[in-house]
Amino acid sequence: MARTVEVTPYEYPNDKPSYKKSEFQQLLKILNTYKTNIAVGLITIITLLSTIRLILFRPTTYYTPDFSRLPNVQYFDLDHYTGSPDGWQRDERVLFCVPLRDAAAHLPMFFGHMRNVTYPHNLIDLAFLVSDSSDDTMGSLEAHLKAIQSDPDVSMRFGEIEIYEKDFGQVIGQGFSDRHGFAAQGPRRKLMARARNWLWSVAIKPYHSFVYWRDADVETVPPTILEDLMHHDKDVIVPNVWRPLPDWLGNQQPYDLNSWQESDGGLQLAEGLDEDACIVEGYVEYQTWRPHLAYLRDPYGDPEVEMDLDGIGGVSILTKARVFRTGSHFPAFSFEKHAETEAFGKLSKRMGYSVVGLPHYVIWHIYEPSSDDLKHMEWMALEEVKQKEEAKIRKVYDKVWGEAFDDVQIAWKKERDDFLKNTDMTALRKIEVDWSDADGFDIDANKKDEHIADFNP
Amino acid sequence: MVYSKQMIIRQIRRKPLLAIGPIALLLVLYLFLFRGSDSSSSTSASSKKTKYSYEKKGRGWFSKNKDSIILQDLPQNHISHYDLNALTTSANALENKEQVLILTPMSKFLPQYWENLNKLTYDHSLIELGFIIPRSTEGDQVLKQLESAIKKQLSSLKETEKWKKITILRQDSDSLKSQLEKDRHALSVQKERRSMMALARNSLVFTTISPYTSWCLWLDADIVESSPTLLQDMIAHDKAVLSANVYQRWTDENNKPAIRPYDFNNWVESDEGLKLASQLKDDEIVVEGYAEMATYRPLMAHFYDANADANTEMALDGVGGGALLVKADVHRDGAMFPSFPFYHLIETEGFAKMAKRLGYEVFGLPNYLVYHYNE
Repeated sequence: MARTVEVTPYEYPNDKPSYKKSEFQQLLKILNTYKTNIAVGLITIITLLSTIRLILFRPTTYYTPDFSRLPNVQYFDLDHYTGSPDGWQRDERVLFCVPLRDAAAHLPMFFGHMRNVTYPHNLIDLAFLVSDSSDDTMGSLEAHLKAIQSDPDVSMRFGEIEIYEKDFGQVIGQGFSDRHGFAAQGPRRKLMARARNWLWSVAIKPYHSFVYWRDADVETVPPTILEDLMHHDKDVIVPNVWRPLPDWLGNQQPYDLNSWQESDGGLQLAEGLDEDACIVEGYVEYQTWRPHLAYLRDPYGDPEVEMDLDGIGGVSILTKARVFRTGSHFPAFSFEKHAETEAFGKLSKRMGYSVVGLPHYVIWHIYEPSSDDLKHMEWMALEEVKQKEEAKIRKVYDKVWGEAFDDVQIAWKKERDDFLKNTDMTALRKIEVDWSDADGFDIDANKKDEHIADFNP
Repeated sequence: MVYSKQMIIRQIRRKPLLAIGPIALLLVLYLFLFRGSDSSSSTSASSKKTKYSYEKKGRGWFSKNKDSIILQDLPQNHISHYDLNALTTSANALENKEQVLILTPMSKFLPQYWENLNKLTYDHSLIELGFIIPRSTEGDQVLKQLESAIKKQLSSLKETEKWKKITILRQDSDSLKSQLEKDRHALSVQKERRSMMALARNSLVFTTISPYTSWCLWLDADIVESSPTLLQDMIAHDKAVLSANVYQRWTDENNKPAIRPYDFNNWVESDEGLKLASQLKDDEIVVEGYAEMATYRPLMAHFYDANADANTEMALDGVGGGALLVKADVHRDGAMFPSFPFYHLIETEGFAKMAKRLGYEVFGLPNYLVYHYNE
């Protein structure tokens, strides 16, 4: 390489010793001479890359008909409604299903939760099924809905709301023990399943991406429940459901035992039962030894932890709408020896969908006392009344005692010394003390209940 | 070292465009390779306040959603009230103004099918139509034909003659490639094909069934001839599930027009069939019409008697989807087309089994014919 001298308006060769042109400078020079070529090359690369990207990443688009001028013809591409983990950012609609029966008492609490829901309200379509109600569930529901839909804050208002009425003829009472007794489970489950199916099958539209099931009697639930469940990107997902208990029962307890993983014991039990039998979890009659979602809870565990399930409970289920669309439902017959939500888990799994539970993410069901609890509570109530009564009597008694008798105890304490000071008892009686045991006479001052007997004549 | 640094700065000052070049190249490379189609992947600072970001994400320029507008003209603050107790399904459906939903999974469009459908004499304003179209380029073709048929018809019809509503869906799952007659019936592809078909049928029925629907009629896209009173005739039987006998017109060896049985999925269970099923593995299915699997089931297709009463009923255990009338309640109770072996049965045959498990009875009309297209 020839030794050259650079002359620029800023540098004079006389000021500085001449130097070898740096490699970088040479590179720049080359770049400079071929700049047009480089520019053309860049443009070519960009076009090439974008074409490749289009071919690789772009989904093939299909023909879309235009029926905009025909109001009674609709076209939907179901592929647009398969549900993504960030649905709330993509305008994905959620069908919020709530089966109601004699639930008027729970509705104020339920709508309190609904107001707090952070998922964009306009993307939530509500569907209620009111069945076999003897209280004013319908009236109360309509009043609450009207209130929330005419809220001055438009973001409070929900999307489409549909209320369905259908009676299935409940043969079983709605008391806690009526509902949760073992014998009642099979037929009750099958009826519940029918009710649930009637609700979703009429409510679901082609444009729903998710279906969320929620019981009205949930007491505590995070306002972000939909996002919390959705971002896991599972086909069917349930949180853990517990319930608070009164102090005398130990404060808290797992509520929903229908979320479980299948076990060999369970399969073995199922094999031995007849076709229409219906296994229900949480009853001693059927011992399945299945791992339950509820019992795996760690209050300090990571709420993101997932657990594969086979059967699920119905208190709060988020599913992709595709699961229901393609035919999974709450079997109102014995499917693999289960019915309703437990069988829904099994059926969805059979159809190849993922069924998952979150052991450390908990929502709280209300506490409804069982009949044993009620008995105990009655006893406690009676006891309280009795104690109050006793306290009253004591008060009167004390008063009477105080008025009828003079307490001379304090006066005697003062006078006693005066009485005794001149009395030397030793003259009357010879007292000998045997001190031989004194060493064994050891009292620990720190122990409360051990002290020398108080001698106070 | 210091000197070369100065040089770089100087160069940039002198020819700024040259420096921008490489930086731009890097940026472009990064953007094209590592970013998805989302226009904004925001990890915004607002996420500190709330757990999730609520910024909207677009679908990109190319996959824009051009489906029908979702919510429109909703009454009374979007609250609607339906009393399903008042819904009836009765033999005299027309008098009770009961609504019918006609469902067709459509993988090819036959003008004869469309003509035959339009000839039905049941009050069109009580009929909703539902179509589901495969996700393939063949599906595009079908959709275009269907679109033009609907547009042509609606422009010529009077308001009262129009269908109450038409819903057209595009299947979300990919369809099987080949729908040729020969491949379609190969035993090895039967299970997969019918499983896909079951998914399509379920997607169709459950998204289109409305709170007013009393009856569902499954009518295959290749049923090209039926009585115009098909609906009234079948509804009159007042059965939960009722299947018509599917035949095909052809010209026999003597070049005379004749008919032959087509759909063999309408059958009564046999001891041999049950025995065969009990020997199968959990994920295997029994299908009719294959020599490999002799079930000896009495097939309704063979019970046709031209001289007998068309209203003769026979109890069935499996049904086909050619022309199948179902009370909407059966679907609402959860009866669907299993896409997996359900008691070793799949699709429409599995549906019949599920309806029976739910306590419904399944019947067929051996002497009441509808005709399949002859390929």
